[in-house]
Amino acid sequence: MDSPAANAAFAKQINVKFPLLSDMNKKMLTAYGILKGYDVQSESYQWAQRANIVIDKNGIVQHVEEGDSAVNPNNALSVCTDLHKKQTAK
Amino acid sequence: MKRAALINRATLTSRGICAVLLLAALPSAPLLTSSAQNTEQVAKASLKVGDTAPDFTLLSDQWKTVKLSDFRGKKNVFLAVYVLAFTGG
Repeated sequence: MDSPAANAAFAKQINVKFPLLSDMNKKMLTAYGILKGYDVQSESYQWAQRANIVIDKNGIVQHVEEGDSAVNPNNALSVCTDLHKKQTAK
Repeated sequence: MKRAALINRATLTSRGICAVLLLAALPSAPLLTSSAQNTEQVAKASLKVGDTAPDFTLLSDQWKTVKLSDFRGKKNVFLAVYVLAFTGG
């Protein structure tokens, strides 16, 4: 897992304006079921899945995409936009 | 591609539509090769649409704690788990 210091260097490099988070103790990854275990030559390793997750204002999961397709954020973005439209229409 | 995706998210955040959190994860395992004998195990049941998202507290790149529950009632949250983000690939 990347440390906050590594993330700070990355954030500076790509100039992002949103927080880059570190899950050093893998608690969140485990709770969300996106930490996978692999055995390679009798050694065990843990590896996070790539994932996009959208959680609404009430804390309810509205979108989950895991694996290679999660490289593309567009599905998650459209869920965000739809959510926002619904919420502001109320 | 990767950069475009990040800019998209930044644009979305600046419009205030949702909070974007990116979890950069570097795998602690070596790259798997076809010769490696690996068995994939699911750590826990995956999250499904409609579930209540488990709360988390994580350290940001600014060494500040970010809690999911801080956004409750305020913002929708887009959480991106980005493996191998800090690489040249």
